[in-house]
Amino acid sequence: MKYVNSAIFALLVGTTTLLSGQTIPPDIQKAAEEKAVNLCSTCHGPRGISTSPEFPILAAQRMGYLAAQIDAFRKQTRAEKDAHDFMWGIAGRLDENIISGIAAYYAAQPPAPGRTDDPTLVAKGKELYDKGVLDRGIPACASCHGVNGEGIADFPRLAGQHAKYVAKQLTFIQTLTRAAPVMHGIVKDLTPNEIQAVAAYAQSK
Amino acid sequence: MNLDREIRTFGGVAVLVAMFGATYPAQAVPSYARQTGQECVACHVSFPELTPYGRYFKLTGYTIGKTFVSSEGFNYVPLAVMAQASVTHTQNNNATNPDTGETVSVNQRNNSAVFSAASVFFATKLSDNIGAFVQWTYNNLATTADGTLGGHSGLDNTDIRAAGKYSSAGAGEPDLIYGMTLNNNPTVQDPWNSTPAFGFPYTASPLAQTPAAATQIDGTLAQQVAGVGGYLWWQKMIYGELSFYRTANGAFSVLRAGQDIHTDGGVAAVQNWNNPYWRFALSHDWGAHSAMIGTYGMVVNRYPSNFDTSTATDRYRDIAVDAQYQYITDPQTFTAQATYINEKQSYNASYQSVVDTGGGIGAGPTPANPTDTLKTFKVKGTYYYERKYGGTVGFFSTTGSADAGLYGVNSDGTSRTPNSRGYIFELDYLPIQNIRLMLQYTGYNKFDGASTNYDGNGRNARDNNTLFFNIWAAF
Repeated sequence: MKYVNSAIFALLVGTTTLLSGQTIPPDIQKAAEEKAVNLCSTCHGPRGISTSPEFPILAAQRMGYLAAQIDAFRKQTRAEKDAHDFMWGIAGRLDENIISGIAAYYAAQPPAPGRTDDPTLVAKGKELYDKGVLDRGIPACASCHGVNGEGIADFPRLAGQHAKYVAKQLTFIQTLTRAAPVMHGIVKDLTPNEIQAVAAYAQSK
Repeated sequence: MNLDREIRTFGGVAVLVAMFGATYPAQAVPSYARQTGQECVACHVSFPELTPYGRYFKLTGYTIGKTFVSSEGFNYVPLAVMAQASVTHTQNNNATNPDTGETVSVNQRNNSAVFSAASVFFATKLSDNIGAFVQWTYNNLATTADGTLGGHSGLDNTDIRAAGKYSSAGAGEPDLIYGMTLNNNPTVQDPWNSTPAFGFPYTASPLAQTPAAATQIDGTLAQQVAGVGGYLWWQKMIYGELSFYRTANGAFSVLRAGQDIHTDGGVAAVQNWNNPYWRFALSHDWGAHSAMIGTYGMVVNRYPSNFDTSTATDRYRDIAVDAQYQYITDPQTFTAQATYINEKQSYNASYQSVVDTGGGIGAGPTPANPTDTLKTFKVKGTYYYERKYGGTVGFFSTTGSADAGLYGVNSDGTSRTPNSRGYIFELDYLPIQNIRLMLQYTGYNKFDGASTNYDGNGRNARDNNTLFFNIWAAF
């Protein structure tokens, strides 16, 4: 199982990763999956589908993105409050191989189904997601995150993610609470209502 | 008032707190937080109330994270310290001594700032399957033999667990959590905060008058018994536990260290292991919600006098139902707990003694009835914003059989009851996760059987209304 580091991706999400292309030995993969089943599932749900919107869905997440985020928790370079309170301690005890194995496990899980709470808000979010707002310099989300929100390469999957979590992360990136310079440039002018709309659309996919 | 000693003791704790703080400036939180690297909010809505993750941590034997010593060396200090300082205002601090007729103070430190208590915890993962929660508490306001207040220390809540997990092939989470517990307080091992040991109020004034009657499972046996039991938690949905308790003597005497074993009535003495405790609960988490409905109970075969275990025993059968609801989000949380405990008291030994001799056995009860009932209901709801600003409203009620032998008689000659009823309002502020400032008001509509003149000397239930300001810190 291999994955490739992406310099562009690292620039976008504001993290760097030392996790280079490698094959995960079966025993490491097994240990990683035990970790996912026995520990990660407590908050992130069985097979990465959490029920609480406070904890992100990991199922079918892009492997490179997920590995980079766990690594960022481990190195404490991703430092919003939830990351600090919940993830630093967990990730701090994982080595690169286990991180890769966990990321591979979740990447292989079936995705969470889409959920729509407010069709009007979802429709508005779709417009923004598909087309962006050109006169304000906001590109279409689909160009990096996939037309159906499935993610592209190491750009994260958004489809089926809890709207509250997506909105929270956009706000963190907007306010530089979560360091992601390029993404910050893209979302810095989104209004709170637009954030809610695009998050609702992501959850609906 | 021994102010010098209080100051010295508080100074000692302050030094200890400072030492831990200085040693772990980046992780100035109790030992489980050092063990897991996670903050208090991962496991607690507000301490000691557990989140779903906190329940998982407890039921898996406190084993998430690392041991304090490993092949990597010394990882963290497996100890935590906790201290409380407070001011208590009793609405009417003057009562009449029934023996002398003199006016006495109900609260010996009314309106005074006092250092209340401090605890040291040995709370840590010991191996991949074994973990411990051991609390040693110094009570600075313990009642001494001559009725004054003084310092006293002893073992507090203790729960040592061994636990394992079973996952079927391809399972997304453990199918079964199983484990064993050794503890010294029935319900201290329970992960839901609707049961007594870690139920609301999480702390209360150590100086205030409180109702006299309580069921056996509601703290009456705390730190006096030793229990061993096993539990299963299937798919985080169905929980069952069966434990058996005995007097914490002999090899288990450390579990009641500090208790008064030299006074008749100082501790409970129960039949050897013949005191079953059971627990069954259904729990479900969905979205940001978590709910539980359950039942628990205990049969206690208790010797009336702890000095004489050659006698017959009284039998207390406690059956309780409880429920908990939690809504946990950022930034708001709402949680509620309720429990109802029904105790049937069969005074097989004590009542017979009263009939035969006119008195009880040793310092044991002197019931006028062969059987009595005692029922307690408690409910509370808590709201927190950003886990920082909180408010709680609670209600409690105890009712039971009228029994002149246990509770005395009213001025009209009727037998008195153990009935008490009241409410609690609490405001909390946590400037940091380890420190809680709280203002708690407890009001009574009924106290030890009556609303007015409950003591026969004119004292009313509301005279015991209490305003309690407390600073609670844990490091």
